[in-house]
Amino acid sequence: MHRYTSPVRASAHIADFGLDTITLAGPLEGKLAAARNGGFSQIMLAARDIVGHPQGMEAAVAAVRASGLRVTGFQVLRDFEGLSGHLHDYKVDIAKQMIGMASALDARVLLACSSTSAHASGERAALVRDLRKLAMLALPHGIRVAYEALSWGRHVNEVDAAWSLVEEADYPNLGLGVDSYHIFATNTPLGVLDDIDPEKIFLVQLADFMWQETRTPEERIETARHFRVFPGEGVHSQALATLVRRLDALGYRGDYSFEVFNDDYQQLPLPCVAERAHASALWLAEEVLRRGVPLPGTPRLRTAA
Amino acid sequence: MNAIHPAPREALAQHDNPLALQGIEFVEYATARPQTLGQSLEKLGFQPVARHRSREVLLYRQGDMNIIVNAHRDPDEPALPDTAELTAVALRVRDAGKAYRRVLELGAWGLPTKVEVMELNIPAIHGVGNSRLYFVDRCGDFSIYDVDFIPIPGVDTRPDAAGGLRFFGLVQYIGPERMGDWIAFYSELFGFRELPADHHFGVLSRGCILASPCGRLHWQLVEPAADAWLDVAGDEYLERLAFACADVQATVAQLVRRGVDFARPAVAPEDASLGALTTPSDSGPTFELVRDPR
Repeated sequence: MHRYTSPVRASAHIADFGLDTITLAGPLEGKLAAARNGGFSQIMLAARDIVGHPQGMEAAVAAVRASGLRVTGFQVLRDFEGLSGHLHDYKVDIAKQMIGMASALDARVLLACSSTSAHASGERAALVRDLRKLAMLALPHGIRVAYEALSWGRHVNEVDAAWSLVEEADYPNLGLGVDSYHIFATNTPLGVLDDIDPEKIFLVQLADFMWQETRTPEERIETARHFRVFPGEGVHSQALATLVRRLDALGYRGDYSFEVFNDDYQQLPLPCVAERAHASALWLAEEVLRRGVPLPGTPRLRTAA
Repeated sequence: MNAIHPAPREALAQHDNPLALQGIEFVEYATARPQTLGQSLEKLGFQPVARHRSREVLLYRQGDMNIIVNAHRDPDEPALPDTAELTAVALRVRDAGKAYRRVLELGAWGLPTKVEVMELNIPAIHGVGNSRLYFVDRCGDFSIYDVDFIPIPGVDTRPDAAGGLRFFGLVQYIGPERMGDWIAFYSELFGFRELPADHHFGVLSRGCILASPCGRLHWQLVEPAADAWLDVAGDEYLERLAFACADVQATVAQLVRRGVDFARPAVAPEDASLGALTTPSDSGPTFELVRDPR
């Protein structure tokens, strides 16, 4: 296992920004080292990082702990809500496994995406009941569930629809996952964010992309899975800046994770990708949120030369 | 079930007390030193009344209270703690199967129980930390103990409670910012209600007290003290068991004569009548006495 000899030293003014392992190529240890060396103090993990580790799950958990990085959250539970009978029971088992892994990793947030299943009911009472049940499953483990509207979700595909369910479910460890990509893909007006309780936003995922418009669900899926870029790198930078400022003004003080699915980044050296992410974090912190730059003499990581 | 009393009152009671909860059937401790804990319990007035058929498990009783001391460990399980830990609370309900199915529907984690042949399969769910919550619907004349336990010969199996002690409730330590979560856990699954913030029993006036819908059980949730952040690992567990009595000072005096040690009260003298805390000299668990003039 990789031995780290120094503590994580990310600059404080970008401490709430994190990388996501789905952006990076290669084994888990390389991703963790890239995040650390790239000046990040947290990382979003995916289940496949853990279960796909060649030495097994325990080795993966040990590597994450040894990295000293905080785990932003754990992803992703799909298609949970709205099912019935044996499909529901099956998904409850999957959710329990995901919760178990998140708990082993000390992840405090489990991301759950709105259902895309053709078998899922859109009946509001059923969706609320299932979200409450998911939150209860996570509760004894100290895990919060962030429910996110996928822009190609079957019944819930916009952030305000997800918020309305979360609000009705009214459960302390059930909140909202906000993903900039899906908000822009569906052209959801940012004004809907003003109705959301900032305390109930458990995670914000940020990504830009290169197309002006994504007209069909198929186009959204394709873009979401292959052509996202870091905030500030695409054509929606101004909209992203507005979104982040709006969340900040609303009172959101949680984490921002860069959820950047990009086929090109999957074949670039890790330090190069981490450097792009770091530049993005600096842009958001210093130019968008106008946070103070650390004073000379305070620890600040240089990006890899 | 036969609808003998299909009155509206019945429906209302169902709603308020969804599992028809009726207090605690037993509390279970796990320990590698069962005799040490047994001595502490005997000083408090408990008597060992029965032995488990297949495992190193003893049943202690006084009045309506049952405490199980579990020293059984399967070879593949981690070592038992020297200091006894609260590992299970069994709740009396009207129908254990129904109660179990209802809480699973709401998102509780069912736990497999290990039973030998001819032993009872008591449904259990995941509680705080490593603890379990059981559902029991056989109380009174034919009880769960009649199946799994063998009475200790020559012992009074129904000893009276010293000083009229009865179960008051549990104190649970929780992680930072977890109050809302645990209130939701007990209210959603069992119908507990949060008592007003100025409502306190016993020795510790911090945290939040939940009252069971049957009125027989209190659950105190205690967050780490604000100045304790350095050593908080976020551990969550059942910290102690509390007994109710009508007069704390009289009960303390009675128990001191039996050899129970009490912590010097850190509270003002007028609060000493509200509660007291034992300090067993043998590193056993702590017990709390709470005034409850019910």
